[in-house]
Amino acid sequence: MNKILNYLKENSKITLCTILIALLFIIGNLITGGNFSSLGSTIKFASFTAIFGLGQMLIICTGGDIDLSVGYCATIVSCITAGMMDGKNNNIWRAIIFAIIVGILVGLINGLLTVYTKLPSLVVTLAMSQILQGLVDVYSAGNSIGGKPSPILSVIAAKNTGVFPNIFFLLIIIIIGVMWLLNKTKISIQLVSCGSNAMAAHLSGIKVKKVRVLSFVACDVIAALMGLLLLGNLGLAFKDMASSYVMPSIAAVVIGGLSIKGGQKNYIGVVLGAIVLQTLTNLFVSLGWGDSGKYLGYGLILLLMLIVYVREKVSR
Amino acid sequence: MYNKKGGFSMPAFFKKTEFITIVIFLIMLSVVAAMQGNFFKLSTLQNTIISWTPLILLTMGQSIVIISGGLDMSSGNALSFMLCILSATMHEENPMSGWIALLLCIIAMIGIGLINGLAVGFFKLPPIIATFATSYMWLGAALFIMPSPGGECVNWMRAFFKFSSVDNMPKMLKYIGGIVPTGVFLIILACLIWYVVSRTKLGRYIYAVGSNRNIAYDNGVKTAKIQIIAYLLNSLFVMFAALFMVGQNQSGSARIGDPLTLKCIASAVVAGVALTGGRGNVFVSIVGAAIISLVSKLIFFSNISSDYQTVVSGLILLIAVASSSIINAVKSAWAKREVYSDE
Repeated sequence: MNKILNYLKENSKITLCTILIALLFIIGNLITGGNFSSLGSTIKFASFTAIFGLGQMLIICTGGDIDLSVGYCATIVSCITAGMMDGKNNNIWRAIIFAIIVGILVGLINGLLTVYTKLPSLVVTLAMSQILQGLVDVYSAGNSIGGKPSPILSVIAAKNTGVFPNIFFLLIIIIIGVMWLLNKTKISIQLVSCGSNAMAAHLSGIKVKKVRVLSFVACDVIAALMGLLLLGNLGLAFKDMASSYVMPSIAAVVIGGLSIKGGQKNYIGVVLGAIVLQTLTNLFVSLGWGDSGKYLGYGLILLLMLIVYVREKVSR
Repeated sequence: MYNKKGGFSMPAFFKKTEFITIVIFLIMLSVVAAMQGNFFKLSTLQNTIISWTPLILLTMGQSIVIISGGLDMSSGNALSFMLCILSATMHEENPMSGWIALLLCIIAMIGIGLINGLAVGFFKLPPIIATFATSYMWLGAALFIMPSPGGECVNWMRAFFKFSSVDNMPKMLKYIGGIVPTGVFLIILACLIWYVVSRTKLGRYIYAVGSNRNIAYDNGVKTAKIQIIAYLLNSLFVMFAALFMVGQNQSGSARIGDPLTLKCIASAVVAGVALTGGRGNVFVSIVGAAIISLVSKLIFFSNISSDYQTVVSGLILLIAVASSSIINAVKSAWAKREVYSDE
């Protein structure tokens, strides 16, 4: 019993998330009279948010930066690769290579500007997302967005195996990979030390700026690959298709209990945060509030969580 | 005019970044005026000022917040929130509804300023992420009031746009309104408010808190109060912009303010307001807003196809925001071997 209590104390934020999910689920079931949205769809959309959140976690961890351009990075990839793949499995490699190239380019620009000019990352990436949005407009003005995702992508992103959506298994693989990466390798020390004390990291021989730029690149590559999965899920590409994942991906990291100032890593928390947000969204949808309730709820819960988590570390 | 050694030196003003801003503005103005033949015609000037006014007001508020050490990512969405409140409560046939709308808008203004200010000043959250969260709250609230664009505007409220568009206005005011849009008066009012504030202790404190919050606190400045006041001033100026826009468009939309957020931050940076806080001039930020507006005018005139305009304006905003930092980074790289510094 004592062991369990100690464990709960050590992981208080994860416990809080679990309690929140359960509470929201119970409230949802009470309000809708038992037919609250299914577990499968909740997990599916939460998985998308959680994978976006992985990228955000990396850059928040290394320096407290935030990337707003992930949404349009995914959108531009899915708009262009839809035509590239055209519903054939043979062309998927070209699409993946294209996505990685786009991700590296966007991440490099974001990272270099943020790290070397010391601009606020939110401002840089907001401008970047506007540029990418403009590029999507240019592409869709020239030739209308057509094409289909290759069947493999649809199987991964849209289909279910039994109760669980396939994307959930992908998420589990990613979780295991990330846990190994962040607990057993040298990378984790580099990431965390850059975020918690950049000066000390620099003095102990870690190339802080390089690590931060690379974390931006990793974030945008993940976002670009997510563009492919979103395309597989929806079956077609359109403008604005991924921009609704930007805010939840950031909020998931904060709800998962990571300090917005950097230096902490906990991917399980991010995944749980994503599930909290998705349950919250389902609640608003079942109340019939739609978009307005969703945005209001995201803003409120992000602000409240920030107050709860950041407040305890402020001395003055 | 004379430095300490007695030799002649340039007046201090010409060395400041503000001077460069004004020179850039004058050059761009002359280019645009040359491209657009009738730039100095009265009606063209009026239209120019009308299209600049919301951005100028937002930029002034943004500059105050940045100088006080914060940043407001929510000012665009706050603008659309107030617009939605105004246009949703007003009914054209009932002039009294205008007063109710105005009252509600003032309450919203105080609420927006207080929540932003409390989050940053009292709870000490990082300003960027805190106002990013609140920006979604305003967007959600605006969508809740007005899911699709629409709404009405009572006739007298249009006085905030032009005196001449109100029916029963005294002839004198109508004549003035025919020449000068009310936006000019709103900007002058905002300037007066900031002039009064900057001449008092409060103005000094805003700069002090912006340059170093801890030292200001140690010297007895109530930092939380000062930051809340800075955010309140910001939301007051945003309200001016909302009143102007509801008179201009006679309708509201929840998405109309969103693009202005990045623009007003870029304008403030172009005008030499340092994003680190504590440095900058609110009056010069008007010129910054004018420069950013002129850029979109230049894009319009330079025959770039309309599909490319979002890309180009985004690129220019990015360059505008980055310019001063890049110049500083290059300067410091030239000046000395780089010593690692954490912020």
